[in-house]
Amino acid sequence: MNRLKQFNWSGWLFFGLLLLAWELGTRSAPKLQVYSPPLSRVLAALVVSAQSGPLISQFMITVGRFLEGYLLSVAIGVMVGVVLGYFRPAHELFETLIEFLRPMPSVAIIPVAILMLGISDAMIVAVTVYATVWPILINTIDGVRHIEQVLIQTGRSFGLSNAKILWQVILPAASPYIVTGLRIALSIALILVTTAEMVAGSKGLGFYILDEERSMNSGNMYAGIIVVAVLGYALNRLFLALEARMLKWRHGMLARRAA
Amino acid sequence: MASRHAGAAGGMMRWGKLRGVIFLITLIAIWEIASRSALLNPLIMPAPARILGVFSDLISSGQIPWQILVSMKRAAAGYLLAAAVFIPLGIVMGLSQRIYRLFEVAVEMLRPVPPPVVIPVAMLFFGLEDEMKIFVIFFSCAWPILLNTLDGVRSVDWVLVNTARTFGLSRGKTIRQVVLPAASPQIMTGLRVSLPITLILVVISEMVGSTDGIGYFILDSQRRFRVAQMYAGMLSLAILGYTLNKLFNLLHRVLMSWHWAMMRRTEEG
Repeated sequence: MNRLKQFNWSGWLFFGLLLLAWELGTRSAPKLQVYSPPLSRVLAALVVSAQSGPLISQFMITVGRFLEGYLLSVAIGVMVGVVLGYFRPAHELFETLIEFLRPMPSVAIIPVAILMLGISDAMIVAVTVYATVWPILINTIDGVRHIEQVLIQTGRSFGLSNAKILWQVILPAASPYIVTGLRIALSIALILVTTAEMVAGSKGLGFYILDEERSMNSGNMYAGIIVVAVLGYALNRLFLALEARMLKWRHGMLARRAA
Repeated sequence: MASRHAGAAGGMMRWGKLRGVIFLITLIAIWEIASRSALLNPLIMPAPARILGVFSDLISSGQIPWQILVSMKRAAAGYLLAAAVFIPLGIVMGLSQRIYRLFEVAVEMLRPVPPPVVIPVAMLFFGLEDEMKIFVIFFSCAWPILLNTLDGVRSVDWVLVNTARTFGLSRGKTIRQVVLPAASPQIMTGLRVSLPITLILVVISEMVGSTDGIGYFILDSQRRFRVAQMYAGMLSLAILGYTLNKLFNLLHRVLMSWHWAMMRRTEEG
């Protein structure tokens, strides 16, 4: 464990060498600049477009759509998941429909969304919700079904209201599953927002990256990709930090129950 | 989910399943009626019967099978290439801590890049050719395959490996006959997770930069306002996804039954 915490010299050295090869390779062979400007110029493009505006505003647009889509998916996925997980007949009713829809790659829904909503923010959010809701829904159903009935019955015999059983028994007990779904959904939501922006957007980071490629500004394109990667990384870190806090609370609860 | 309640509850399960099917058929029937009576805009949601008609026309004219074939060639190439590169790399990284640490930072830096964002880069390098899609699929399957292989190799029982070495098995033979079989369940997990990712990325890359393939076909149908044709394309994609999953499960069962049989043999022998 201690060794893992040590600074990874060889790894950073190797990664540094890769970046150096990018810089020197493109400098010494101008032909390669069709594919990419030197790294230093990508970083310069990153700074310039961040300062003068376009990159920041595209970033904000993408983050806004991401948040809207993700949070809606969480609300829908958890709510429907609890209902379908708790009421068996409801699940049986919808099971075939879910099995029928799930194997279709979610991005295939984009043309339908364009048809119904046009090229708009609502279209991008709708597409994101459609794809992101699946892992949350499926994991919530699984989580609720795995709850021991004794827990719920105990709650009932103590006279807990339905709302209290939902908030204090069902949701906490299913939370490990739900959290797994939420984590998977995080990267899916970012993928779908950027994809929809590429296929049918006029704004946002996905659009920006593709547009800069088409206008042969590969420096800006790489700068946009760096921003998306940092966004993905930061979202994941943020999630893990929140999850750790949640788990701490859960560990506390389990310990209390054991004592 | 179903297998948990199999057995005694078999009869009930089948009734539950039947209700699900009836519900689905009812929904489709409502769609059909609503579309015919123009409650649903038939220009946006044409009647299912019409979609099925167009679907069967496009099948018999060979148009959908052709587009699927084009997409599948790209998908297979990217998927197999990723497996050919990242399973060996995962094994090497799992066996040697030094090599693992060498690549660790580069992997951690590249992994958060959402795969579709790689499409413009691939277009820069390969234009709109097949290689563009193959590269995008290769990139997006890299992480699940690599990380699962790595985990699988790391969780191999070292007693097994040391025993093999003591009995004088060469390094290559030890890897092939001990490490690889023991890690194969996890390697299969990586390959399974990559399957839907492959399908998604081939569709996206064909929507963004292509002149054929099923992803292009669906988006192009929408742009030309051939809406029934668009839904027919989506239907074929759903069938394809379902079939691929079933095929993989079948293959998985065959390979793994051999795996478990071998594991049992080594335990008994």
